[in-house]
Amino acid sequence: MSTPGSQHAARTAALVRDVWRQRSLVILAHVAVVILVAIVLYPVMLVCKQAFEPGRSLALSASPIPNSVSLDHFRDLFSARGSHDELLFVRQAVNSVVISLLTTIVGVALSCTAAYALSRFRFPGRKAGLASFLVVQMFPATLLLMPLYVILDKLGLLNSVVGLVLVYSTTAIPFCVWTLKGYFDTLPRELEEAARIDGASPWLIFRRIILPLAQPGIAVTALFAFMTAWNEFIMASTFMTDESRYTLPVLIQSSVGDHVANYGLFAAGTIVTSIPVMVVFYVLQRYLVGGLTAGAVKG
Amino acid sequence: MSDPRGPVVQRQLRDFVAAAIVALAIATAAFVAERNAELADHQLDLAARAMQQLVATRTEVPSAHAAIVEPAIASSRHPFLRHRRAFDGSGSRPLATGPDDKLLYDAANRVERTGAFAELLPDGSGRALAGKPGEGKQIVVVVTDPGSPAPFPLLVIVGVLGLGAALAAAGALIGRRAARVGTFAGVASLAIPAILWHSPIAATAIALVAIATALAQRVGLADRIANSLIRDRVALGFLAPAGLAMLVLVAAPFIIGIVLGFYDHHHGTWTFVGLSNFGEILSGGGRALDDPLNFWFILGVTVLWTACNMVLHVSIGVALALVLSRKWMRGKGVFRMLLILPWAIPNYITALIWHGMFKGEYGAINSLLHAVHLSDVSWFGSFAAGFSANVITNTWLGFPFMMVVALGALETIPRELYEAASVDGASAWQRFRHITLPHLRPALGPAIALGSIWTFNMFNVVQLVSGGKPGDSTNILVTDAYRWAFERGDRYGLAAAYATIIFLILLLWTVFGTRIMRGKEDA
Repeated sequence: MSTPGSQHAARTAALVRDVWRQRSLVILAHVAVVILVAIVLYPVMLVCKQAFEPGRSLALSASPIPNSVSLDHFRDLFSARGSHDELLFVRQAVNSVVISLLTTIVGVALSCTAAYALSRFRFPGRKAGLASFLVVQMFPATLLLMPLYVILDKLGLLNSVVGLVLVYSTTAIPFCVWTLKGYFDTLPRELEEAARIDGASPWLIFRRIILPLAQPGIAVTALFAFMTAWNEFIMASTFMTDESRYTLPVLIQSSVGDHVANYGLFAAGTIVTSIPVMVVFYVLQRYLVGGLTAGAVKG
Repeated sequence: MSDPRGPVVQRQLRDFVAAAIVALAIATAAFVAERNAELADHQLDLAARAMQQLVATRTEVPSAHAAIVEPAIASSRHPFLRHRRAFDGSGSRPLATGPDDKLLYDAANRVERTGAFAELLPDGSGRALAGKPGEGKQIVVVVTDPGSPAPFPLLVIVGVLGLGAALAAAGALIGRRAARVGTFAGVASLAIPAILWHSPIAATAIALVAIATALAQRVGLADRIANSLIRDRVALGFLAPAGLAMLVLVAAPFIIGIVLGFYDHHHGTWTFVGLSNFGEILSGGGRALDDPLNFWFILGVTVLWTACNMVLHVSIGVALALVLSRKWMRGKGVFRMLLILPWAIPNYITALIWHGMFKGEYGAINSLLHAVHLSDVSWFGSFAAGFSANVITNTWLGFPFMMVVALGALETIPRELYEAASVDGASAWQRFRHITLPHLRPALGPAIALGSIWTFNMFNVVQLVSGGKPGDSTNILVTDAYRWAFERGDRYGLAAAYATIIFLILLLWTVFGTRIMRGKEDA
């Protein structure tokens, strides 16, 4: 047993050591995060530089600061014309917006109802249904192209907005259903019980209780469905035969094809296309954490 | 029950209606097939007669436009334009302006190239197009007017349905065994029109439906299904829209995709080859194990690819989440906003950007390496470099997802737990190991399971960054299958077999990974 005095001194020394360790750790953590942020931002800044610097070839220096600034690439992008002299960019932007919004609406509506059934009801085939929503995620989407092409052809939905929206919605459904089902599971059932005792129909309960409560989860689902449609180009370029029906990703991807590469145009297109997604993303991101993990974390 | 016969007849008719709907669908398919075949016969016959009569008597047959076409002559002013003259019932004219002239011109070209042919136009109009060599270098071609198909025989169907319903009801009124006989006879009566339409297959199928319905009644299955439909009608109603959409646009292509794996595609014709596609893939197609086209080599690359990515995504994501959730961290909100930026950028754009950065001797990455006096790397010149380029890109776009999931999970940990542990003298590692990790697991488990499936099938990054370079060595299974389908001679069957194998691998991985997933599945 040591004396109270020496004990006190030792404790102070340990405390000082701890504070120093803590402080250096804090500084180290900040430095590490700043470096990572730099790595995250660097490609984005390069793209901005490329977009605002004149010239169509690839930037040949590592500096993300442009040497001169012009809006040529943006002007080229907005004024590109198709074979019928229509403004290609405007056409394809409208296509993208319409298709993405419709996909969001259809996808979210279908997923919400399905997730509600899977979360709140017990019926034969429920487990199989849940599993099948997960299992279909595993079949590589790229290789569903051929069968889907045949089916859309038979349904007369090739080269049509409806066809593409249906395909995108169904692609998004499995993930949306799983996320939403997880979210619905975390909602308290007392309100529903009370409503049921008061004689509310399941549809009323779904519309007036579940949907308002589940807004964060639905927001994330909507974001996912929107991004599925907004970012897809392989199906869009396969199922749409008409240049004026392409979506923006098809335009951007083709601007850096093997034969003609205009990196300035590509960069400008990239910026214009990414901005709407980023806006939606940042508006909804406060829901992202809760919505995505609610199903997994309980308690 | 006051009158036991009422419900019996009701149940009987319920089963009859359900079975009759299926039988009707089969019968209708048989009718449509028969009608189409008849129409095709009629139109092709008309086309043949029109050509014959034009050659023999120089006159036209009603509702068909035949023409004798001269060989093509290059235009004197524009040699790339080739003219043809045509004689039909009304005289000689250049093939240029008439409504069907384009069809006739192309038909003549086709006869010159591949010989005589006769077919229905694939536009669903029911018009026939035919052509055959005529005298000398002349060609006879014909296009018919649209044919009118026979109308759907509504009266026959209604009559047969009534007869069937009567049979089924009569059976139910007589007794239990007779009820089943009645069901069978009632449903089977729908096979009569199918026989009329020369479709033994449809008739057999309808008979099988009838037998199945009677058997289902016998073992009480029909009642159970009906009860379940009534009891769970609300749940099934909510599920139906999504279920239907999934059935048509996910399940159907999925099944077609699996079936195509048993066929071989060659110049537009499909032949059944059994398991030979799978054999070719799993045996490596006679290639050495280190050949980049050998399935096992690609599988190895894919597994390595998935493992590297998951380790990097999870470790970077969790580390960042731990740091960003600390009280002493400054500018948390800003850092978080900036760090999820890669997630917000469409992944094909990310891939194209990084491809540009890795590209060439003076790409951005190599310029950076020069700036810090390192020698540049030929990023698509060796497997290790190309593979790293893909992994770097995918990590850049993949870690924010894990970070966000981990942040969410960390928020749910009660602060008191850490304080209690500190009081008890737990080290930082012990606190991480026994408090943080157990709380992260239920959220990260499903995220990792889902992330690994996505990464395993991450087509965009591999296709757009390295594109398989050098020499196909950095392909993963999905991109290799894509190449077989669209770049190496349209081998759709082989690609479909690849897809099936990928699916089975992921299914196995999920089944054995259930332990990680259990956090999500409460069912």
